[in-house]
Amino acid sequence: MTAYLDTGDRRRSADAPPRIADLIDEATIQSIAEEAWSALVGEDEYLVPLPGDPLVDAVSSWVEVVGPWTGTVVITTARATAAELSRCLLKEHAPPVLDDEDVDDALGELANVVGGNVKAVLPGPSSLGLPEVGTAPEAGTDVCRVDLLWRGQSLTISVQDSAGVLTEQNNQQKNEVPL
Amino acid sequence: MRALVIDDSKVMRRIVSGILEGLGYEVQQAGHGREGLDVLDGGWVPDLVCVDWNMPVMDGLQFVSAVRSNPSWRQVTIMMVTSESEHGQIVRALAAGAHEYMIKPFTADAFRDKLALLGMLPQEVAL
Repeated sequence: MTAYLDTGDRRRSADAPPRIADLIDEATIQSIAEEAWSALVGEDEYLVPLPGDPLVDAVSSWVEVVGPWTGTVVITTARATAAELSRCLLKEHAPPVLDDEDVDDALGELANVVGGNVKAVLPGPSSLGLPEVGTAPEAGTDVCRVDLLWRGQSLTISVQDSAGVLTEQNNQQKNEVPL
Repeated sequence: MRALVIDDSKVMRRIVSGILEGLGYEVQQAGHGREGLDVLDGGWVPDLVCVDWNMPVMDGLQFVSAVRSNPSWRQVTIMMVTSESEHGQIVRALAAGAHEYMIKPFTADAFRDKLALLGMLPQEVAL
C-alpha cells in the first residue's frame, strides 16, 4: 500500500489563478482576427503575421473589456488602410466618397468584433464597452500583440492590461484572473 | 416581409440590411434601441428585428424586454446580432424574449441559415 503524502504542492499549483497571458496568446488573437476578416472584409482576405513598415497617419480603434480581467483590445493601422478596410466591409454599399465617420465606424466595428471574441476566451462574466476610435489609448502593458500585414499594409492588434506599467511583482498580481 | 435592423454601427446596419434586402425584405434601420422602439411606435411593425446588444441610449436587451412587454408586438421575431458570445448572455437574451442569437462575425450564408431556422426566409427564397 502506498501512502499518499499531501505536501500541498499539487493543491497550491491547481488553485493558482491563471495569468491573463496564459489565456490569450498571439495565435488566438490571429485566429480571431482571421475569422473576422474572412467574414467581414472578404473570404479571400488574408492577414500575414509579419511586421510592416512604421505607420504613417495612424488611427486606432479599441474596446474595453471589464470583468475578472480588465483591459483593452486595440487595432491600429494607417488611416489609408482603415479607409480601404471600410470599402471592403461596405462592399457595394460603399459611398463614392468615404467620409471620416464611415472609416471610424468600420474600424470601430472591427475592434468590437475582435474584442467581443477576445472576451469570449477570458473568464467571465465580463462586459464589453462601446468601440472608440482615434489616437491610440494611453498604452497599458501589452499582454499580447500581433503585427500583421493586410494587402501589404501594417496593422497591429494588441490586448492591453489596464493596469499600465507596473512593477514586476504588481504586474504578476494584476495579471492573475480570479476564477 | 419587413425587417428592422438596429445597430449603432452604420457599417453593420448596411451589411445586415444588404443581406435582408437581397432576400426580398423591406428594411428600416435604427441606431439604437430607443430609435427602434420609435419605429414600432410609429406603426411600422416588422416581421423580423435584428438587434445588436451593446448600443448607446438603449441596448439590445432593454429593447427586447420593451418589445416583449407590449402584447401588440408579440408576433415580432427577434434575433440578437452581436459580438457578445458568453453563454450567460445568450441565455439572458433568450430569456428576455429573443428567438435566436447570431454571433459576429458571420457570413451571409450563416445569416441566411439562422433565418431559415427561424422560418423567416421569404417563401420564394426558401423554395
